Amino acid sequence: MATNSAAQANVIDLKSDQIRQDLLRPVFHTSRRYYALVFVLIALGLPGVFAYLYQISNGMGVAGITRPVFWGFYITNFVFWIGISHAGTLISAILRLVNATWRRPVTRCAEAITVFALAIGAQYPIIHLGRSWLFFWLIPYPSERGIWPNFRSPLLWDFFAISTYITGSLIFLLLPIIPDWAMVRDRATGLRKRIYAILSLGWRGTPREWHRLEVAMRVMAVVIIPVAVSVHTIVSWDFAMAPVPMWHSTVFGPYFVAGAIFSGIAALIIAMALIRKFLHLEDYLKPIHFDNLGKLLLLFSLLWLYFIFSERLTVWYGNQTSEMAAFWSIQRGPFAVPFWTMVFCNFLIPFPILAIKKLRTITGTVIASSTIVVGMWLERFLIVVPPLEHKYLPYDWGNYHPTWVEIAITAGTLMGMILFYVLFVKFVPIISIWELKGGKRTEPVADQAHASVSSAAMRLDSTLPSGNG
Amino acid sequence: MAHRWGMVIDLDRCTGCEACVAACHAENNIATVGDAEAARGRAMHWIHVERYWDGEFPNVRVGFRPIPCQQCDAAPCEPVCPTYASYHNADGLNAQVYNRCIGTRYCANACPYTVRFFNWFNPVWDKPLNLQFNPDVSVREVGVMEKCTFCIQRIKAAEIKAEMEKREMKDGEFSPACVQTCPAGAMVFGDLDDPASMISRFSNSVRGTKLLSEVGAFPKVTYLERESSHGNE
Amino acid sequence: MNAIYGLFADLNSARGAVAALRAEHSRLRIEPQAIVIMSSEPLEEVGFGWKEQRTVMPWLAPLGGLLGGAGGYALAAFTQRTYPLPTGGMPIVAMWPTGIIMYELTMLGAILTTIVTFLVSAGLPNYRTRLYDPEVTNGKILVGISDPDPDCRAELEQRLYREGAEQVKEYSNK
Repeated sequence: MATNSAAQANVIDLKSDQIRQDLLRPVFHTSRRYYALVFVLIALGLPGVFAYLYQISNGMGVAGITRPVFWGFYITNFVFWIGISHAGTLISAILRLVNATWRRPVTRCAEAITVFALAIGAQYPIIHLGRSWLFFWLIPYPSERGIWPNFRSPLLWDFFAISTYITGSLIFLLLPIIPDWAMVRDRATGLRKRIYAILSLGWRGTPREWHRLEVAMRVMAVVIIPVAVSVHTIVSWDFAMAPVPMWHSTVFGPYFVAGAIFSGIAALIIAMALIRKFLHLEDYLKPIHFDNLGKLLLLFSLLWLYFIFSERLTVWYGNQTSEMAAFWSIQRGPFAVPFWTMVFCNFLIPFPILAIKKLRTITGTVIASSTIVVGMWLERFLIVVPPLEHKYLPYDWGNYHPTWVEIAITAGTLMGMILFYVLFVKFVPIISIWELKGGKRTEPVADQAHASVSSAAMRLDSTLPSGNG
Repeated sequence: MAHRWGMVIDLDRCTGCEACVAACHAENNIATVGDAEAARGRAMHWIHVERYWDGEFPNVRVGFRPIPCQQCDAAPCEPVCPTYASYHNADGLNAQVYNRCIGTRYCANACPYTVRFFNWFNPVWDKPLNLQFNPDVSVREVGVMEKCTFCIQRIKAAEIKAEMEKREMKDGEFSPACVQTCPAGAMVFGDLDDPASMISRFSNSVRGTKLLSEVGAFPKVTYLERESSHGNE
Repeated sequence: MNAIYGLFADLNSARGAVAALRAEHSRLRIEPQAIVIMSSEPLEEVGFGWKEQRTVMPWLAPLGGLLGGAGGYALAAFTQRTYPLPTGGMPIVAMWPTGIIMYELTMLGAILTTIVTFLVSAGLPNYRTRLYDPEVTNGKILVGISDPDPDCRAELEQRLYREGAEQVKEYSNK
């Protein structure tokens, strides 16, 4: 049968206990620092909640939006957060489909970002409404008013797209968590045990359950990718469908999707670095993961440059009077500072860091990602505001000055996102234990198994925990 | 009989007096917003007069262009409203249904003429204007979009009167508040589908242009001017 | 129901146990479906000779998608025709926007079908007390027989130990 060395390799070695211990520790042990963090996040986020209530009771006028800039920070944030949500899909679904094994410790971090960024992003279409309390009129239901929503409106497409995407991402996130919740259930006691027993749906780990789970994951991975692409395309069409100079551009669909994945990977790298540090997961989130994600980030930085160059070149070359006003205000006028900051943040700073292998370390990729996240927010801002400030008739040009309400709500949702993530890490093992251990096995697989699996099983050095971080 | 209401504004006659603006405020229960808000661009002038300067001192020419809602035939503000608060009614008007509006403000962004106005706060009227409401027009609450309706209340009143008297509406029988008030007689209103009406004649004048015609919204307001001194964008 | 099972520390011994049980199924009076396996990771790839892993799930998802797409068309077309409000010179049922709604509902249909078929075909959620041992999530592989023949019980236990079980336990839910 198996040789001696193969038998040794076949042993699900004791390090598995170490894996379980490390990855379940955040779920079972709560440090004082954690409580303090949650408290701080809530304290910093509450002003945003009050600002929103203030806005509802006093009117949208407390914000800085005005005629003609009817959309400002809220829509910027909306597009920004929906963009960030594209991280999980790319990493999880696409890497799953191409069988990239290095993805294993990273998938759940990414999927969690997707779900929470979507939850935050989906608040903004409600926050920015003049009559927020009537947001449910966007839902197609047979209402007593005898009217249905207008399916020709891009905002309705947004509603459908984001609902579909959030449903899909939630399922994509929750399905592989079930076995890990079963693991928590078996170790927990008391009330916690009962809650996790319910959450894990009575999972036992029979081959049938595993098989169905893997099939479901494969189907979801295939389905979620076109959904993600369509979501940010449809969000971009909120702008592209309107005859506003510099909005009405055919490039917006792909441009936004590329930008979304770009900002999503950057957010993922930051989240991973923080998790690695604060949960002491240095053995699981290794430099190779940041290196690989950094390479993807580099690719998207170049792609971003390509898109913004195409967009600006066609506007400049076309020299249409109505578009040039917005164009020059961005490049040389009042928006020059945000514009060039964005170029620095999205390309000039990240490119050398990510392109030079020696600089593409964990610290390097985190620095690049931080600048990219800022740069992408600025990019969304520059798409929304300057064209609205300079529409066709110069008499109607105006200015946008955000007020404390918008800034508080922006900060509040950012704190909300971090809080969601911090709470998630407490209730769910942030690295998928069964997927990680499933990738660890290096045995030469016996006759019935597929050859591709065995070669995948061999290429596992990146997922093996080792002493040196 | 369906109508297609349109307007003609003669820029060679307009003096920029803004009586039309005042009349519109009075007729349609539009509040004033105060100095601070007006400075932020939040004044609610459903018809507003745009002023363009041409030339250098001392050879300066000023041109005035009153811009109401252009009631476009292919209005970009209509398809983007998620709740059908902005739609095209049978008389060719771009109707704004206040009760359906949830305040996404997409229509205002999509309008190339920026003739849509948002209620940033609940409107307040300084005394004694609070006693001057027109009972035929509703008052809009905070968070709702509004704009020029070609005084649809006057259109409806004339329709009902004509129906009760069992006759067709006569050309020039009624007009929106701005048209009625203009002291220079620079505005004409009527049914574009009636070949005998004044407006049909004026709309076909050689002096006639449409504002921002290249955007393709097919506005129904025609501007007459002998020379295009301030250029058509 | 009752059962007897062994907990194995590694894959090979577990595989050997399953093979042995299958090989002697007639002598030890084991029904093929009575062999129960549980693990904390998917072991499908490493081959337990399990032939039952066929499912119609991947075909149901596109079917759900088609239903979703049809539903999307029905929703948009029916509601817009019932209360026709012209906007911007577009037709009442404009195909481009309707196509987008259909696309999203197609994907939603596929997603919902997948989750429903997963739950149904995996038999989840199932909260009845059943054969299970928490050692499974400690990394052990459980290989056992449900409702074993009482006469063969002792021999089954020996067999499991011989194949390398660390522990052999009995389970009964009455």
